[in-house]
Amino acid sequence: MFRFKREQSVVNVGGIKLGGQPGENATVLCGTIFYQGHKIVQDEEQGAFDRAAAERLIARQAELSEETGTPAVLHLYARTIEALERYLAFADLTWAGPIIVDSADAAVRAGAAALVSELGYADKTIYNSISVATSRMEAQAIKESEVDSAILLAYNPTDCRVDGMLQVLEGGAAMAEKGLIPLAEDLGITNKLIDPGVVPMGSGAGASLRFSTVAKAKLALPVGSGIHNAVSAWPWLRQKDKATKKCCDGAASAMQILAAGDFLLYGPIENAEFIFPAAAMADILVAEAVRDLDNEPAANHPIHRLV
Amino acid sequence: MTEECSSQRKCFEESWPPVRGEYVVGDPNARVAVVTLASQLHVRGSAISGPCKTENLGVEKIVANVVSNCNIRFILLCGAESKGHLPGNTLLALHRNGIDEQGRIVGSKGAIPFIQNLAPDAILRFQEQVQLIDFIGLEDEAKIAELVEIYNSRAEPYPREPFQVVKKKSTAKVISAGEGDLLLGSGVVMNTATWLVQAEVVVEC
Repeated sequence: MFRFKREQSVVNVGGIKLGGQPGENATVLCGTIFYQGHKIVQDEEQGAFDRAAAERLIARQAELSEETGTPAVLHLYARTIEALERYLAFADLTWAGPIIVDSADAAVRAGAAALVSELGYADKTIYNSISVATSRMEAQAIKESEVDSAILLAYNPTDCRVDGMLQVLEGGAAMAEKGLIPLAEDLGITNKLIDPGVVPMGSGAGASLRFSTVAKAKLALPVGSGIHNAVSAWPWLRQKDKATKKCCDGAASAMQILAAGDFLLYGPIENAEFIFPAAAMADILVAEAVRDLDNEPAANHPIHRLV
Repeated sequence: MTEECSSQRKCFEESWPPVRGEYVVGDPNARVAVVTLASQLHVRGSAISGPCKTENLGVEKIVANVVSNCNIRFILLCGAESKGHLPGNTLLALHRNGIDEQGRIVGSKGAIPFIQNLAPDAILRFQEQVQLIDFIGLEDEAKIAELVEIYNSRAEPYPREPFQVVKKKSTAKVISAGEGDLLLGSGVVMNTATWLVQAEVVVEC
């Protein structure tokens, strides 16, 4: 509930805006589909899935986005490039907004950069992610592609404190030749989205929240996180019922927004049902809190639709 | 309060395992710990068992919980490898090669294989105390139980005191207020480097 002294940059990916002062643009919510263990996926190597179920999930995210005024991104996770090709073809038919392409396999991510360029989707694609693990092969693939938006993962395996994350972005810390920001610029990334890389609670998850505020104050770039990972990696919570888990997920999302987050990688797309209301509520409360600091909510902000 | 594994020596503290995680504690006097990598498997007869999906924090937790119990002499690696992260490959590399000056696990093919919270002597102890049994890919619970039984009878407890991994404490530093870069309104500012909130000093002309 504050205003940054430094002017904040706002980026536009596929028609949605990310960034700005708290309370200005609604938080962008990114729901993941075809993730590891997603029940609708029948063959993760080939990319076979239950099309009707996938269509329902994507349509529901779009409905909630429209209803609340909260922009949404479809986060596609793929195990292989063959699977990604199928997922992209399906997304083209069912989803009008921006997409995130993601895989645990660097070769698949590199292939994804080339594929979205070839298919003409590059301008609405966010590459997830550039990190200290980005190899020369992967970097070259990004450079040769038309992708210009990427998440920069500030995870620092040798120092997960806020200063350690900033070092990864600005100077590469000790484990990379250069920082992720200059690296991304070299690779043609103009829309840089910052993500601390949330670790489990007990290992420093809370630092991600303070990092969001510090990174925006210092870098003026859009910042967000997958704070849901802290919730899902909490062993104590696993024995609790679904309502308790949802409550914690919603609360964590709201905390990330309160800490000046611009986007949320909110996890399984099934969670849209309760994450969108929680995020919209947090956006409205923040917008009301900073109204007299000259932080004006955008025309399509949830504050104009839901209250 | 400690547990005894012989009349002269303690093999593990009563509070073992010291680091929390997604694991099941079986018989702390057993010789085998089982890492099921990305698979959720029911394991019988081991000291401790559970998955490990990350090549950095997950690996650190395993080392901390293993070296603090001298009874454990074998780590059985089984289950499906976690793609991209490769914690199984990373554990094998850590055991074989250790870490370099930056904390990178030498020879690991995982995405970000770094050790942050373990001192070099904890890794040395890990290398000395346990032997890794590589059955990565094995998900047959009966076969895993059979292997646990075989290795449980193969060695004596490690002949030293349990090794307690103490998390590095950050150095306390003097915090100065600095200049506010975040405005909370009503003349209150915050400096995000020091995380201090303060009222702005107004100079009257």
